This record gives sequence, structure tokens and C-alpha cells, in this order.
Amino acid sequence: MVIRELFCYPKHLCNALVYVILRRIKKWFLEKSDILKGLADATIAGDTEKAVEWAKKALEAGIDAYEAIMDGCSVGMNVVSEKYEKGEMYVPEILCSAEAMYAALEVLRPHLKTATMGVPKKVVLGVVRGDIHDIGKNLVKLMFDAAGFKVIDLGKDVPNEKFVEAAVKEGADLVGLSALMTTSMVNMPIVINELKKKSNKAVTMVGGGTLSPELAENYGADGYAKDAAEAVKVAKALLTGGK
Amino acid sequence: MQDRMSSTERMGAVLMGQKPDRVPVNPFILGFAAKICNLPLGDLYTDPKKCFRTQLLCAEMYGYDATPMYAYASYGAWEFGGEIGMPYEEGQSAPYVIKHPVETPEDVDKLEVPDPKTAGSIPVSMGVGKLCYEHGMPVVFQSGEVLSPAAMIAEPSRLLSWMIRKPEVVHKLNKKIAEYFVAVAEYFTSTFGADKCMSFAGGPVESNKLINANQFAEFVYPYMKEIHSKVLGMGVPIILEHPCSDQNKNLPYYQKLREELGWKGKYIWVFGPETPLERQIEIFGKHDVLMGNVDPPSFQFKDFDEIVALCKDNIERGIKNPSGYILGVGCELPPLAPPINVYAIMKAAREYGSYK
Ligand code: B12
Repeated sequence: MVIRELFCYPKHLCNALVYVILRRIKKWFLEKSDILKGLADATIAGDTEKAVEWAKKALEAGIDAYEAIMDGCSVGMNVVSEKYEKGEMYVPEILCSAEAMYAALEVLRPHLKTATMGVPKKVVLGVVRGDIHDIGKNLVKLMFDAAGFKVIDLGKDVPNEKFVEAAVKEGADLVGLSALMTTSMVNMPIVINELKKKSNKAVTMVGGGTLSPELAENYGADGYAKDAAEAVKVAKALLTGGK
Repeated sequence: MQDRMSSTERMGAVLMGQKPDRVPVNPFILGFAAKICNLPLGDLYTDPKKCFRTQLLCAEMYGYDATPMYAYASYGAWEFGGEIGMPYEEGQSAPYVIKHPVETPEDVDKLEVPDPKTAGSIPVSMGVGKLCYEHGMPVVFQSGEVLSPAAMIAEPSRLLSWMIRKPEVVHKLNKKIAEYFVAVAEYFTSTFGADKCMSFAGGPVESNKLINANQFAEFVYPYMKEIHSKVLGMGVPIILEHPCSDQNKNLPYYQKLREELGWKGKYIWVFGPETPLERQIEIFGKHDVLMGNVDPPSFQFKDFDEIVALCKDNIERGIKNPSGYILGVGCELPPLAPPINVYAIMKAAREYGSYK
């Protein structure tokens, strides 16, 4: 009613203009939330083409690349991770989600502005020596990537010294060690002790199927997480709260 | 309690549906035997004589009832033309893949079914088989489910994503592996006689930590059924089936397999610790032997009394299986387990596992 009146009286042209602008903003916000949701949904569905499409739309709509990653891709990956923990999604589907997310990241990353996102935290990640179980570690990398960390992935069966060298060279904020076997886990305290001697900056986190919070504590790790989504939460808490 | 039967008599009794003096023990020991004998772990997987002798000595020393065998989880890559690493470095516990022979779908087309006489580890496992045969022990050949070798051939993550993106490629690969496994079974049974052989099947990539029941139904079940029915058809009397890790969601398919094959032959089931023995008895109890599934990592971290308690619990539950029970571990016993913890299994079997 009021709106119609606005248009009837030229003296209120100014108000009409305000109205139009407000509608534009509303539309933009709507569009923005649609785009972010589109990005998240495409990630969850593992639809690579759609993910790339939404990433491009995000840039066209002037959405900040960092926001698109965090509120689109990352939100999607969190849902994926939750679904895995609940047994609603399995590794093959997650790997497709990962493919979709990385495709979107490729579009968005060149547009990241350090001003909005700050300097990303660096994570050195790998599976300890003697252990080739790397599927879990790859999922952890995925969640760190989705959360905007810079991950240096050392792969699997990583010699103890390599973790320390990489942490020092890269100035890592966090070193994540993965192990699935009791035989290889014993390398964790060795790496952690060396790291403590050589890099007083990096916090350490451990994880992997057969590990437990108690073992993590015995090994002297600063943090432990039972799954990839929790790994990011614990990492953020450790990095804001210090060691 | 003093043992009143030899290992052969004891295992034989269980397999024939009779009651032995006490529950037999098969602690799923491979790498641990090498450690105990101060043998480089890599030798266990490359030298048939050492592989046989260390396992035999370890069994003799503790008095458990398993006979030597040759198997490892990263099976398939080497056999199909890839490269395998042997666990000679400290901290390594089993063979590992250095190069996967398949990287692209085209590689699957080009992949040839290897000659079962010369493929990868076969000469070693045949060597171990010959020694077993000479000693009157069952000859075990690995003819596992197809998905674990497929993952070793094509790299696990690649294979798992192909299951959604390129299912036809996975089926193509699975068919070749099934063909190979049948050829391996023919090679072993024609060398030793089917009645002297036992097939070892199963694998970790089939676990519900990685795939769901529908994926198992599509990518594992048809090949599993084909291989098992052919192996049983050759006259192999026993299949040692190890659904590794958590495979609770796949249980209906293992049941279906036995039903559709008319409960032919005798299966020895070694599920991971995640599958309660009560559930296994419900499904397989009328026909098959169950091997206990004590949690493997516990053997490295828990103490003697805790291991005895875990084994006692497993015995009390497993001994109720009408078709027989073997006290065992849910996957390979960790090579770095304190030696006394293997004695704990024997102690539990002798104290709590006797048949009245
Ligand atoms: C698949 C598998 C394999 C595959 C691995 C393929 C690959 N490239 O990864 C293959 C076939 C190669 C394999 C081989 C072997 N395996 Co295996 N394998 C498994 C299985 C079934 C699943 C592992 C998995 O991928 N899980 C799914 C992922 C998503 O889960 P996850 O790794 O736990 O990761 C999650 C969390 O733990 C966490 N996380 C992981 N890493 C990190 C790191 C950090 C920093 C944080 C915070 C969190 C975190 O986040 C992840 C996502 O949520 C496990 C069973 C189990 N219970 O785990 C056995 C298991 C690990 N294997 C085992 C064994 C014994 C072996 C072999 C020694 C067998 C043999 N004799 O050949 C060999 C060893 C090979 C070698 N040289 O290393 C045993 C180990 C027992 C022990 N002593 O500790 C297990 C536990 C099976 C069992 N029940 O006994 N295996």
C-alpha cells in the first residue's frame, strides 16, 4: 500500500529510489544465499560441474572468494563429514565431494584477498613411518583445505625427520600426524619430541582409527580428534588458545 | 589344564564337528613370528623356507594350533605388474605398494590377467604351500574378495571414486581379478589336490569404514559368489573367510552367499572385533566354524591380565557356537605385541576353553 503511494507522488521519488536500492540489496542477498547454498549443495552431491558453475556465479555476483569458500564449500564439506560419521555417506561419495570442492576452489582461490582472510595457518600433515593407511589422512587434509588452512601434505610412510624438517622449513603452525597401526604409532612420540626441540611454534595433533585421547596424551600431542571435522575444530581452538 | 590332543587332532575335531579337548587357538600371527625369531620381517614375505619355519617355531613355542600360511593385505598390485615394497625398514609391518599398475581407465583395458604360476608373490606362497604339504598341513592360497586387490591395483582412493564416477571400469577390473583368482585356485588344487587346500579370502577395502552395503552388493558380492562357487566346485573343503574390520552392514550378503551356495564346504569366519560373536552364531552357527575376534591393537597396549580377560570373554561367547569355535584375533596380531601377551591367549584357552 505504502509502496504504491510512493510511486504515485513524484515528490516522494527519492523514497522510491531508496526502495529500489533496498530491493536490489535484498535480491543480492537472496542471490548471495542462493549461490552459497548452491555451492554447498554441489559439494555435498559431488557434482563437479555445478560446483564450478556456482563458484563462477559467486565471483560474477561480487561475492568475496573467501566468503564463498567458507560459507559455501566449507559448509558443504562439514555436512559431508557429519554424514560420514552417521553412516549416511561413505568414502566413495566423499571423494566425489572432494573432487567437486577442489574444482570450485580452483576457480575461487586466484581471487582470494589476504585483506579479508588474513594469512592462512599452515598445517604440515602426513601418515607416520611404516604406515600406508592414508584414506583418513586425505579426509583430514580435505577438511583443512575447506576451512581455509594451507596444507603441506607429506603423504604416507613419512620418515620422522621429514616431519620436523618440513615444519621448520615451512614455519608450520600445526603438525598433524596420522597412524592406523599400533606398530607405526610408536613413531608419533619420537616426532613430537623432536618437534618440541626444533620448532617451538608448531602445535601437534594426532589421529587415526586405533588412536585414543589417552594415547595422544601419552605421546605428548597437544591435540587429538576422532574425525576430520573435529580435527579442524580442535586445530582452531589450539591455534587461538595457544598450546 | 594339560593338552590331551595334538594340534592336528584338535583342529581336525573342530572341523569335523566334534568336541576337542580344549578350544583350538589361531592367533593370526604372521609378522610377530618373525620378530620372535629375530628374522627381518621382509624375509617372512620373500623366503618360503624362513616364512614356514618361523611360523612353525612360533606355534611350537607357544603351543597354538595354527599352521603356516602366506598372505598380506596389499595383495594384487605386484601380481598385476605393479611394484611392491617389503617391510625391511624399522616400523614397517607388512608389504606395501610402491607402484600401482593402473592409473587410468585405459590401463584397465590393457591390463592382462597374469599367469598364476609366476605372478608377484605366487612363487613364494607356492613355496610355503609345498612345505605345508610335505608336513601334512593344509596348503593355504590367497583368493580373496576382488575389491581389496582392485584397490591395490588402481590405488584405493582412485578406485573408490571410480565406483561412482566410472563403475563400468571397476567392474572390468573386478572381472579380471576374479579370473585370476580362479586360475590361482586351479594352480594350487592341481598341484596338491583340492582336498589338501584351503582358500583364504577377505579384505579390508570391503569394510564399512569405506563402503556401504549397496556398494558391497554391486562391486563385491557377484565376484565373491563366482570365485567361491568355483573354488568349492574344485573340491576345496574349507574357506577361511576374513571380512576385515567393521563389516556388520555386509553381513546379509555373507549370509546370502552361504545360502545361495547351499552351505557347501566348511567356512571358518574371522570377523573383525566389531562383529559380535552372538550375531555370527545366529547366522552361521548351524554350519560353520567361528574364529574368535579379540581386538588386535589390545595385544600391543594391554597387559597380560587384561588379555586373559578379553580372551576369556571371547571363549565364553564363542564356545556356544554349535558348529565349532577357534580362539583367535580379529586381524593380524600386532608384530610388536609383548611376547607374554601371546602366552595370555594360550593361558585363557587352557583355563577357560576346555570341553567337558
Ligand atoms: C583400508 C585398510 C587397509 C588398506 C589401506 C589403504 C589405504 N591406502 O589407506 C590396506 C589394504 C593397504 C591395508 C593394509 C594393512 N592393514 Co589395514 N586397514 C584398513 C581399514 C579396514 C580401514 C582404514 C581406513 O581407511 N578407514 C577409513 C578412514 C576414513 O578412517 P581413519 O583412517 O580412521 O581416519 C579418520 C579418523 O581416524 C581421523 N584421522 C585420521 N588421521 C588423522 C590425523 C589427524 C592429525 C587427526 C586429528 C585425525 C585423523 O579422521 C579420519 C576421517 O574421519 C582398517 C580398520 C580400521 N579399524 O581402521 C585396517 C587396519 C588399520 N589395518 C590393519 C592391518 C593389520 C593391516 C596390515 C598390516 C595387514 C597385513 N598384514 O598386510 C597392512 C599394513 C600395510 C602397511 N604396510 O601399512 C589393522 C591394524 C591393527 C593394528 N595392529 O594396529 C587394522 C586396524 C585392521 C584391524 N582391525 O586389525 N589396510
